Amino acid sequence: MASAIKTEGLTKYYGSLLRKPVVGVEDLTLDVKMGQVYGLVGPNGSGKTTTLKLLLGLIFPTRGTMTLLGRDVRDPASRQRVGFLPDGPYFYDHLNADELLSFYGGLFGLSGAELRKRSDELLEMVGMAGPERRRRIREYSKGMIQRVGVAQALINDPDVVLLDEPTAGLDPIGAMQIREIMFRLRDRGKTVFLCSHLLGEIERICDNVTILNEGCTVRQGAVQDLVEPGEGYMVEGREVDNEGEQAIRELADSIETGDGLLQAVASDQDKAVAIAQQISENGGEVVSLSRRRRTLEDIFIETIRGGRE
Amino acid sequence: MRTHRIIGVLIVITGLVGASSLHERIRFQRMVRQYDPPAPIEKIMQFSPTAVTGVIAGAILGGFRGPAANLLWLKMESYWHSDRWHDCLPVMRTVTWLDPHFVEAWRILGWHVMYNMTVETTDIDRQDMYLEAGVAYLKEGIAWNPHIYDLYWELGWSYFDKMDDFENAAKWLRAATEFEHPEYIERLIAHAYEKLPDIDKALDWYDYCLKRYPRDGTAIGATLTIRERYLASWRLLEQGDFHGAEAAVKHHLAMEPDDHIGRRLLATIYERMGDMQNALDQWDLLRATYALDSGAGRKVRQLKAELGIEETVRERQERLKKEQLQRLYERHLELHGAERGLGAPHGGH
Amino acid sequence: MRIVLHLAEQTVREAMRRRFLNVILLFSIVMIGASSMFSQWAPGAELKMMLDTGLGFIRFFGMLMAVFIGAMLIPTEVETKTAYVLLSKPVTRWHFLLGKFLGAFATVGINVLIMGGVFVLVMFLKRGTFEAVPNLYSNLAYAVVLLACEMLVLLSITVMVSTIASWIFTSVFAFFVYFAGHVSASLKHLATPEYYESPLARGMIKVLYVVLPHFEDFDVREPIIVGDPLEWSIVSGTIGLGLLYAGIMITLGWLFFSEREV
Repeated sequence: MASAIKTEGLTKYYGSLLRKPVVGVEDLTLDVKMGQVYGLVGPNGSGKTTTLKLLLGLIFPTRGTMTLLGRDVRDPASRQRVGFLPDGPYFYDHLNADELLSFYGGLFGLSGAELRKRSDELLEMVGMAGPERRRRIREYSKGMIQRVGVAQALINDPDVVLLDEPTAGLDPIGAMQIREIMFRLRDRGKTVFLCSHLLGEIERICDNVTILNEGCTVRQGAVQDLVEPGEGYMVEGREVDNEGEQAIRELADSIETGDGLLQAVASDQDKAVAIAQQISENGGEVVSLSRRRRTLEDIFIETIRGGRE
Repeated sequence: MRTHRIIGVLIVITGLVGASSLHERIRFQRMVRQYDPPAPIEKIMQFSPTAVTGVIAGAILGGFRGPAANLLWLKMESYWHSDRWHDCLPVMRTVTWLDPHFVEAWRILGWHVMYNMTVETTDIDRQDMYLEAGVAYLKEGIAWNPHIYDLYWELGWSYFDKMDDFENAAKWLRAATEFEHPEYIERLIAHAYEKLPDIDKALDWYDYCLKRYPRDGTAIGATLTIRERYLASWRLLEQGDFHGAEAAVKHHLAMEPDDHIGRRLLATIYERMGDMQNALDQWDLLRATYALDSGAGRKVRQLKAELGIEETVRERQERLKKEQLQRLYERHLELHGAERGLGAPHGGH
Repeated sequence: MRIVLHLAEQTVREAMRRRFLNVILLFSIVMIGASSMFSQWAPGAELKMMLDTGLGFIRFFGMLMAVFIGAMLIPTEVETKTAYVLLSKPVTRWHFLLGKFLGAFATVGINVLIMGGVFVLVMFLKRGTFEAVPNLYSNLAYAVVLLACEMLVLLSITVMVSTIASWIFTSVFAFFVYFAGHVSASLKHLATPEYYESPLARGMIKVLYVVLPHFEDFDVREPIIVGDPLEWSIVSGTIGLGLLYAGIMITLGWLFFSEREV
């Protein structure tokens, strides 16, 4: 399968002759295939935004190579089929949503009825098709700006969409709508390159992920391979009295309580069942009994704390 | 990309050189057409510091010479209305440097120096200095504004009225007629020739006036007067009959002893005859009886010098006073550099 | 070219919606309209006074517009990150710079022409208050066009500097260049042994003379006052000089901006 985004040994140091260079990103090698949803995660300052800016030619690498849709990123034609939404976007605030989409669409050669139709569809898709589309952007909330931002990123029907924190500032419904858009894009064969620190979101949407820390790659691979089933069982219960809790402590490998919820980890199925019975006999409610699973967040924290792979 | 940058640098360097060359050509064309006043640095030491405040300096530097000149002109008018005649001078001069096409400024500068400054002193040499300066300013103004009559007229009139130099008066007034001008200038030319005297030219010009304005009463009267009083004598003079000319004009002066044009004619006859003593007597008589004829005074001094005649007591006193002033002037120059007040007029014909 | 013109159009729209620009234009129109009042201060020189005041105001307000629009053009885009989204499209640094510059010049040019039109109208309405000179209106038209050209040069210098400096520094620098450009003729006189003996100093002054713009070339007050017809050869040469110089500055700006990380 062809590569949508490819980097080889990509490195960026910030600094000058007088200061010690700061690592932006170091030896980053990525290969994002066409049609994938790819996540780039990491704590603040790990190099996510640096990577995006390098791919778009906003900053220049110290060394390494990059291609976008098979073209060198220095070639502006490489961005003809690319859409981008930056983190905390800022648009020309004297324009309204219609004018903004018209302006950006014009840069791709779109005009007239085709552009209008496209604008209508996109504003409908991001939930901005009402009277707010004719208000100036300086009057928009953060969430509205984010929605318009997603719309402008898709104005040219791109093959590759680069999104930096796309759900930032959105309420749960808005975030869900954006996730649905990303799924729809994937279903249409588009490539989505997503930067986010919302790991639950990444785990739900992305096929592959790269974890960065301090500019370096610490983990890389398919999400389903990283998030493998873990060992042991998890039993959750409510309204467990102290006596019951003491009894459970003797059975479980570990136990956590909080907000009236008791979570006990058992190494095998028999112990898990015994714990569930204990809860029930003590008048409590068994909420769940399931196989224990490591989330991407678990892996992320483990990796960041544990150092590099 | 590196290639593009190299090409870009080459374009910039070549472009700057090309632009500089084009600018020089435009600058030359502008200089020929007098579109630009003198560069500030040429005159920076001679700008009037009292007048050139920071605001005006900023206006000058910011390319607002015209408005700066106008502001200074207003300042000059405030000095004028406060009787600060000497303070007016450097300001007027600065205005003419800033805006050489400000014709009114040249006209008033020349007039102020030749008329107002000369009456501020009784020293004849100092008066002559002011007159020369005024002439130089007007000539410089003409050099900057050669295509309008105004400053030619002003200079011609100054020669006529202030200096009684009728030859130069006629010359400059005739130059004024090359451009659109009021009709009285031709009449004044005729009058200048009459007073020179050059009777033939005077009659020609009055004749020209009458052709343009047949009902010009002044020209009609002047023509009749000249023919009656001076023409006969003039004709004899032109033929070389000096005694005949002398007799003819003396005959007229016997009846009209106060006719200064007749007496001028008589003095001219004696000069052409070579009888300088008699010529001197006539000019001396004119000086004594016709106070407005400053030309007569100059003629007296000139002829006395030619004849080597001892100066009178008064003249000796004036000479000593002049020498003392000269020494003071030289001392002032040593201490303070070029005299700021009058600047150094240059240019013109 | 399509992208350049598209960016230019958007820049003009943005500028026209800026309040401070509209306030400057309004104020300038009022002052130009009042220029005929100043003529009463100089009887005998009414035309000169009106010309000096009217053209002076157009130059002054045009300069303010050129400097402030030019100084904020690029830095604002970078600081507010609108440049991120723009340059993530198939827009090169050259498109971006040229498009923004053309838009800014169109804005300044339109405003100068408006001010010039108002001034010519005032001169026409007040034509009875001064002594007429030949070729007045045709010369005035040329003068306004050359003023717009002068602002083109000033704007190009401002935009060039703004590619590498903040808008405050750029504004101050542009004002300095404006003043220096009006006395650049003096530099030629300074580069003589009479003022400087050192050949190095004279060489540096000559280089400065070549590099600095010569704004006095765009001033054609004198022939207007005198009534001489402005020759097309001089006007076209001066316009050509302005375009050439602006092109050089924008090329230099591109050289700087192409290396700049956004």
